[in-house]
Amino acid sequence: MKDLTTDVLVIGAGPAGSVTAKFAAQHGAKVLLLEKRQEIGSPVRCGEGISKAWLPEVGITPGRWVNVEVEGARIFAPNEQVLEINERSAGNEVGYVIERDAFDKQLAIDAANAGAEVMLKTAATGILKDGGRVVGARVKRFGEPFEIRAKVTVGADGFESQVGRWAGLPTNLALRDMDSCLQYRMTGVGSDDRYCDFYLGTCAPGGYVWVFPKGNGVANVGIGVQVSQIRSPAEAKTYLDRWIEHHPAYARGKTIDIVGGGVSICAPIKQSVTAGLMLVGDAARMIDPITGGGIANGCIAGKICGEVAAKAAHSSDASLEALQAYEKGWRAKLEEKLYRNWLAKEKLVSLSDATFNKVIDALQGVKLEKLNVHNILKAVHDKYPEVTKEFEAFL
Amino acid sequence: MPNKRLLHIESSGQLCIYCGACVGICPLNCIYLDETRITFDERVCTRCDICVKACPVGAIAIG
Repeated sequence: MKDLTTDVLVIGAGPAGSVTAKFAAQHGAKVLLLEKRQEIGSPVRCGEGISKAWLPEVGITPGRWVNVEVEGARIFAPNEQVLEINERSAGNEVGYVIERDAFDKQLAIDAANAGAEVMLKTAATGILKDGGRVVGARVKRFGEPFEIRAKVTVGADGFESQVGRWAGLPTNLALRDMDSCLQYRMTGVGSDDRYCDFYLGTCAPGGYVWVFPKGNGVANVGIGVQVSQIRSPAEAKTYLDRWIEHHPAYARGKTIDIVGGGVSICAPIKQSVTAGLMLVGDAARMIDPITGGGIANGCIAGKICGEVAAKAAHSSDASLEALQAYEKGWRAKLEEKLYRNWLAKEKLVSLSDATFNKVIDALQGVKLEKLNVHNILKAVHDKYPEVTKEFEAFL
Repeated sequence: MPNKRLLHIESSGQLCIYCGACVGICPLNCIYLDETRITFDERVCTRCDICVKACPVGAIAIG
């Protein structure tokens, strides 16, 4: 195949990549969106729970990819006491349970309809550099190698991101910065379609067990375990199997799908751009360290990334200085919350079951206008002042 | 010598679910996932054990 030239090259057609491609194309750039697989969105590696308040901002209209619209979340303490929170008090952390492969396909369609070219079965094998500047990528399409030269390159290649590493950006994760995740899609379980459920404590060290309903007795039952707390191989599976065994409603269910993956739970990375290159989504470690959700942040950053990419292409200036508009733009939107949630997560991963029980108990019946760290700590302090001693930094 | 030990990635499909958790956490970027095949570069790998911990299903072992 002949070498190609484009304005904007987006590597990876997950949500962040497709949204980036869409906005870059809408702003007049010539865009190539690469996907290494033959099918966008598959295989699914996702719990499939997303919030929804952010969707209009990035021009996503709910479609057939919505499985269930949930009313709220239920947080289960280790002693199974439940804290029910509605969408408003959860800060919009709940919303839809989605069919992730259909969702990704829709976003790719949106990108294509905006004018982006989509190339499947096309894997990046390296980046092209010219005097320290990234000027495109080496790729293989159906095994055939060629080069794509671009004014701006975007790495949207997910948790496994190679692009950031090739460019020397600081995306490496420590053991404490990652959860090892495993999920079964189960049928015949007694899940309640009104709620996304979260189980805290030593059932999932440094993470949680989730049950996200997909309707008709089907639910995603999954676990994340902080890698630094893993002591022996396959512990994510061991913990998940044990949790299911101890919950009869789920022990009766039948598994029809197994999904695994890594989720970053780190503080915001120090740098997401270099001359000619921007990282977006999971590749830029934008996942919320508390919820483990990455789609909203990836799409919100993708919009900014696409706009900045189009502008850089238009002015033929993709210098580090020009791309700071993206670095600053996504940080203004996301960084404070990412950092705050990372701090809170660092504390949460160390809590004992007894403390989790007290926290959930203290929050019973408390009217929380907005469920944030400060409000939670205040409520806990009123009932169990001794518990909040270790949290004084947050108050 | 720890780095003389063998890293064994079971990628014949009996255990490995090709999720990429090991690829993302490898500090030396020496594990590769290609559809349903996982390989690693044994010249680069230091047998640091991190991927063994990150694998949710226990498909990686250092022997």
